[in-house]
Amino acid sequence: MGLVQRAIEAAGVPTVGITLQKDITLSVRPPRALYLRYPFGHPMGEAFAVAQQRTILRDALRALETVSTPGQILEPGYRWKRHRFA
Amino acid sequence: MALGTLGNRVAVQLFKRLPWLGDAWARRRRFVRSTSVPWTPLRRPVRECTIALVTTAGVHLRSDAPFDMTDPDGDPSVRVIPVDTPRGEVRITHKYYDHSAADRDLNVVVPIDRLRELAAAGDVGGVAPRIYSFMGHIDGAHLRTLVEHSAPDVARRLRGDGAEAVVLTPA
Repeated sequence: MGLVQRAIEAAGVPTVGITLQKDITLSVRPPRALYLRYPFGHPMGEAFAVAQQRTILRDALRALETVSTPGQILEPGYRWKRHRFA
Repeated sequence: MALGTLGNRVAVQLFKRLPWLGDAWARRRRFVRSTSVPWTPLRRPVRECTIALVTTAGVHLRSDAPFDMTDPDGDPSVRVIPVDTPRGEVRITHKYYDHSAADRDLNVVVPIDRLRELAAAGDVGGVAPRIYSFMGHIDGAHLRTLVEHSAPDVARRLRGDGAEAVVLTPA
């Protein structure tokens, strides 16, 4: 996914990617990433967990505005099925 | 064949339930190593931007050909999903991850409803008209196709769609 992200960014459109695999992200180096220690197949969290999905999307969108170091990986640290999203 | 399918299903569940297994897999496998990082600054605040979604979770229209799951190097082609497509016309073809949650709620891999809610609330400027979808797990000769053709093609189409920023989601 990071390769697709890099191509879009290189074409002049800012990007942010959710990642569940930090080692890959550190290697491929997309411009902005949000890392979650979540199971594969759940980049936005659990099914029908609206507050959780919205929070993760908001975090990603905020990264577009706040990340100023290319390649930075943000880690909100949400614990799978434990964090309470408001 | 049946045994292979079963083995794959077991592996998919193990990778889902044991995060360290995925970490170990990633350390053993070779990934593209990049030194430089491409960078395009955001031109205006997110609340004024049209946002597009791109995924590598293997999502596609039922009416489109599914991704090729028989090639061990993956399928570097792209599927396009108009954002207003009825949910019943969208499906996921991907055997390397457990998409049972995403099958029930597409927002688990493509947060289209959440993005529309943010747009309605004025927190983002708008939603780009199309979602672009890959299958991920691309390797071998297909990596070149992805990097030199599919990905730049999607980048051009995103610009044509008026996308001012993109959120990408993996499987």
